[in-house]
Amino acid sequence: MMTPRPRSFIEARYKIRTTGTGSLPTDDDVVRSVAHGLPGTAMPGWADLLRPADILAVVDHLKSLSPRFLREQARPVSAENEFPEQSPSSVARGRAAYERLQCGKCHGIDGRGTGAVATEFVDDWGLPTAATDLTESWTFRGGATPRDVFFRLRTGMAGTPMPSFADASSDPELRDLGAYVVSLARTPVWDMRADELQAFYADRDREARANPVKRGRYLVGTLGCATCHSPLDEERRVLPGMKFAGGLLFVFDPFGRYPTGNLTSDRETGLGSWSDDEIIRAFTLGVLRDGTRLPPAPMDYASYGSLTAADQAAIVAYLRTIPPVRNKVPPPTKTALLRHIWLKFSMFFLGLDPPIVLFAGNVGDTGDQSQEGRR
Amino acid sequence: MRRVLAWTAGTLLAVGLLALGVFLYVMPPFFITPPETFVQSMAEAAPPVDAASAPAERALAERGRYLVMTSGCSGCHAANGDRGPDLTKYLAGGSLKFQTAHGTFVTRNLTSDRETGLARRTDDEVKRVLRSGVFPDGRVTSYTIMPWGAFSNWTEEDRHAVVVYLRQLPPVRQAIPNPTVGNAVTISGALEQVYGLRDYSVTHP
Repeated sequence: MMTPRPRSFIEARYKIRTTGTGSLPTDDDVVRSVAHGLPGTAMPGWADLLRPADILAVVDHLKSLSPRFLREQARPVSAENEFPEQSPSSVARGRAAYERLQCGKCHGIDGRGTGAVATEFVDDWGLPTAATDLTESWTFRGGATPRDVFFRLRTGMAGTPMPSFADASSDPELRDLGAYVVSLARTPVWDMRADELQAFYADRDREARANPVKRGRYLVGTLGCATCHSPLDEERRVLPGMKFAGGLLFVFDPFGRYPTGNLTSDRETGLGSWSDDEIIRAFTLGVLRDGTRLPPAPMDYASYGSLTAADQAAIVAYLRTIPPVRNKVPPPTKTALLRHIWLKFSMFFLGLDPPIVLFAGNVGDTGDQSQEGRR
Repeated sequence: MRRVLAWTAGTLLAVGLLALGVFLYVMPPFFITPPETFVQSMAEAAPPVDAASAPAERALAERGRYLVMTSGCSGCHAANGDRGPDLTKYLAGGSLKFQTAHGTFVTRNLTSDRETGLARRTDDEVKRVLRSGVFPDGRVTSYTIMPWGAFSNWTEEDRHAVVVYLRQLPPVRQAIPNPTVGNAVTISGALEQVYGLRDYSVTHP
């Protein structure tokens, strides 16, 4: 459940290019992304794992995935390769360009969202995305030199709401703007002093309290709730439209069958009718609404029980915002008594180790006839 | 007299069997320990940050400790004791074995041990596993086993804090067998099977 999701190579729409809007990337552009990765995403750099020839072979393979590379030529933008040293005057001119081109509408007046008019974005595939925090230069997908930023401004980032400013601006102005954006970078935590770290984390805690849904989205995303609370097919892909809808089956003999719950806000089959306390009790103590107790695996409530009360409330606040998906997941069932005791006997006296088994498919009922075959 | 003896023996046998049944039913005591007690014991298992480290490192490690103890690392990377996880060997690994169509994986030792733990890996190598699931040898691990798809959502700064804390974990010497490749899933329709009663830090025949 990476955010952003991996791109489709079939459409050959590459974000990180030195080519015109709508154009294919150059080979060097793709080599760069493979070798150095895309910071701020799950894509790592492969330069220290693959030889240069291997990276070229990977790039050839990626190009073979889209017929566009047979029909079209990459159109590199003709920009001067000379980037003057970042100077106070270029940064000041860049600051004026930042205002003139209204970058703050999305990125905020300070580069980190303050006063932004547009705050919710979707990319061309309908997936949620966010305006880059320009003060965190280590997350810039295509690198954080003034030259890198110039090309993002000049070419736009295909598939995202970030447009090209080639028509609205000039190359010299965009070079200055690149210098200004790079100058916005703040100190990352690995370079902070102790007092700066304390102030930084206190500030983050304040922001989390002010916007619990955002904090909850981060927690739910990093804890990986959707990894288990979404039904998977045999290739471990989430069944379409079923993220957070539960129905993935774990059989944990000798204890029982534990299908994952529907976390969406559906009133009948999801968490819509659960109270905040009931939800918190389930994920921090493993006690469901009807009093059923969960074993400590695979749902690791013991870890989530260590979350602060504010973070627990933030998780609930975010879960409430997940659109309802109807999926009636059967409650956990206990293993029959005699089988339970026999398996325990095998565990303790015969040295057997019965596994937790994870099954593909959805054991829930979506009320959709076409889904019947999946169960 | 014989009758009385027979009855006594029979009763004792029945009581013994019943006691064995009750013992088996409640062991391990997941469902009789109050949930609050169980959660508390897990929370206290995470070693405190190293008080002797530099102030900035301590602040990062505190943040990392919170992320490690709340993100479920200990659910898989526990070390097995005689009865359930050995909480004194925090994140020493070996308690779970995953069998999938792509191979068999035993949870790794995340402590700072130089020969069997994370001290063998650079910060960048550890971060690459947490961000991308790519191991130092280039293998990509499944995200349903090691949930790197979720950990990739950590900010780079939070990921850094996690690594700072892991570096401070007390070293535990515990060699973990390397993954083996091959189709090992036997139950029809299963994506993976997770074994967790035995100690898998040593290879069983």
